[in-house]
Amino acid sequence: MSPKLEPKNEPPASTIEPGLAATRRVGVALPNTILDKLLFILFRYREASIAAVAVALVVYFQIGSRGQFIDAQFLGVVFRDTGRFGLIAVAETMLMITAEIDLSVGSTFALAPYTMGLLSVTWDVPLAVGALAGVALCVLVGVVNGVITVRFRVPSLITTVGTLFFVQGIVVSIYNSQPIMTPVEEPFNEFFGESLYNPRADGLLSWHSLSAFTPVLWAVVVVAAMSVVLNRTTFGLHTIATGSNPIGAREIGVRTDRIKVYNFMIAGGLAGFAGIINTLQFSSADPAAGAGFLNLEAIAAAVIGGTSLLGGSGTVIGALIGAFVVATLNNGLVMIGAQATVSDIFLGAGILAAMILNVQVDRLRTRRRK
Amino acid sequence: MSPPAIPVLDQNIPALDPDAPVILEMRHIIKTFGAVTALVDASIKLRRGEVLALVGDNGAGKSTLIKILSGFHQPDAGTIILNGEEVRFASPRAARAHGIETVYQDLALIGDLSIFHNMFLGREYHKRILGLNLLDNEKMRDLAVKYLETMAISIPSVESTVDLLSGGQRQCVAVARSIYASPTILVLDEPLAALGVREGGQVLGLIQNLRRQRRVSIILIVHNYNQVFEVCDRINFLHSGGIVLDASTTETSEEELIHIVKSGLGGRATAAAAGEAGSEPA
Repeated sequence: MSPKLEPKNEPPASTIEPGLAATRRVGVALPNTILDKLLFILFRYREASIAAVAVALVVYFQIGSRGQFIDAQFLGVVFRDTGRFGLIAVAETMLMITAEIDLSVGSTFALAPYTMGLLSVTWDVPLAVGALAGVALCVLVGVVNGVITVRFRVPSLITTVGTLFFVQGIVVSIYNSQPIMTPVEEPFNEFFGESLYNPRADGLLSWHSLSAFTPVLWAVVVVAAMSVVLNRTTFGLHTIATGSNPIGAREIGVRTDRIKVYNFMIAGGLAGFAGIINTLQFSSADPAAGAGFLNLEAIAAAVIGGTSLLGGSGTVIGALIGAFVVATLNNGLVMIGAQATVSDIFLGAGILAAMILNVQVDRLRTRRRK
Repeated sequence: MSPPAIPVLDQNIPALDPDAPVILEMRHIIKTFGAVTALVDASIKLRRGEVLALVGDNGAGKSTLIKILSGFHQPDAGTIILNGEEVRFASPRAARAHGIETVYQDLALIGDLSIFHNMFLGREYHKRILGLNLLDNEKMRDLAVKYLETMAISIPSVESTVDLLSGGQRQCVAVARSIYASPTILVLDEPLAALGVREGGQVLGLIQNLRRQRRVSIILIVHNYNQVFEVCDRINFLHSGGIVLDASTTETSEEELIHIVKSGLGGRATAAAAGEAGSEPA
């Protein structure tokens, strides 16, 4: 027979001393082996550990290149790449937290500036307006990616491969795959990408030297903003919930489909923005600017930064540091005299190592569950 | 808003007011998933402050029925009448807005989020900083600590993520989250499944308090009514997508129920007939 279930023997809730319940520690296994401890530390300080790797790489290349790595001009190149990868890696991080991915950023990266250039040369549309139109188009591509993924249940890996080729095809064919020279319209160019730095004329602390770092400064601004969005807003909370437990999140009333679509829109918009900055640096819109491995390099940056593809966790600050690591590897190895192709070996090994670590750290946390 | 105090059990208040009005009716609910018919023609009634147990085998349609009530699924046919008015829940949010809180079997907790974020997921507190509407984490954390303390739920820290909790702790957090919303109807899907005897007793005690003090109506989904016989007013048996028996626990003993179920569930018609005889409390 069932026992008498009224909790007569339990003290009434009100007599329990405040604070007692909270101080009772129950059922949490602390890491005990050295490996567990190490993984635990890596998890607690994900950004710090990848930052340590970044510093180690800088030291290595600085020594390897006999002191030529830390140099305003060379760092300008590294930071330009960091900014480009970083802006896209941040967007990928947000998507990867929802357990989705976007490969079409390689095309939207070219779509936005090409739209801007085309509007400028055909109708004399100001660059600022053209840039807005271009980014809006990229956001629209994000909507398409999102809707196809959540409504038609196509895995985003496939959806975005489709839009990658689709958008790339349009951009390349629309103007006979000609690069478009864009005019210089100050202060727009100065503000969003043009480097005015002249090492002979300008001091390292001048305004012009700041402009050498425009892409990475914008990436820092975006990372700061996205960090607030991810950690301090309802949207960020629901983004994590969507990736961590899609069904549970839906049951509790999180609009998981919308959250995913919004994140695809952010990815499209940020990739377009990165493309605009890239184009303004050279005043030339290349229809194939994002071809090659740009999308994969951005994903590599996110992964190296500590975001796994499993959903539910990730760090946008890590993504920016990851972007710096990728940019440093790409440029540093060339600088110390390695063949350009060798950097891919290191990059590949780095991605694998980071991914194994990410998955292991996640597994450790699950193991500590019970 | 301060957290609602947890009522202390008062034995003087009768368990169920005999004149309590019917606040919820689900009439002739039909639901199919592709070729599978989950609910054939299910109807339930719930009075204010009543504890109703939905009992049945796996696949009987219990979870589908309550997921329709909670807005997670939409019925193919049938109506839901809440406080005399027909309602339609397009989403879980809509059902929550009508005072229906559900603790799902999977608990719907987010493993990667802290306990206090889970407590307030979908109804976050905000504060404005520099014109931005940001999460008020401090407030949510403090409220969660206060609230869980009054419920005597022992957890490591409200800041630890849910995937570090044991099954029982998770269940308590999920139930606490639903009670916090001050629902008029609380639905618990297999509330005792992951719990030990003591933790289970705690949850059942909570259920008793809720209905006696606040007249919350509660629907319990259980495999086995033995676990909940003491706390329920009525038991509804589901079989193959329909209610086959509606029995009042005040008029039917456990032994009688066992007899009815054993003899009745072989054929729907017999069971339904048996249900007519044993149900309809005065």
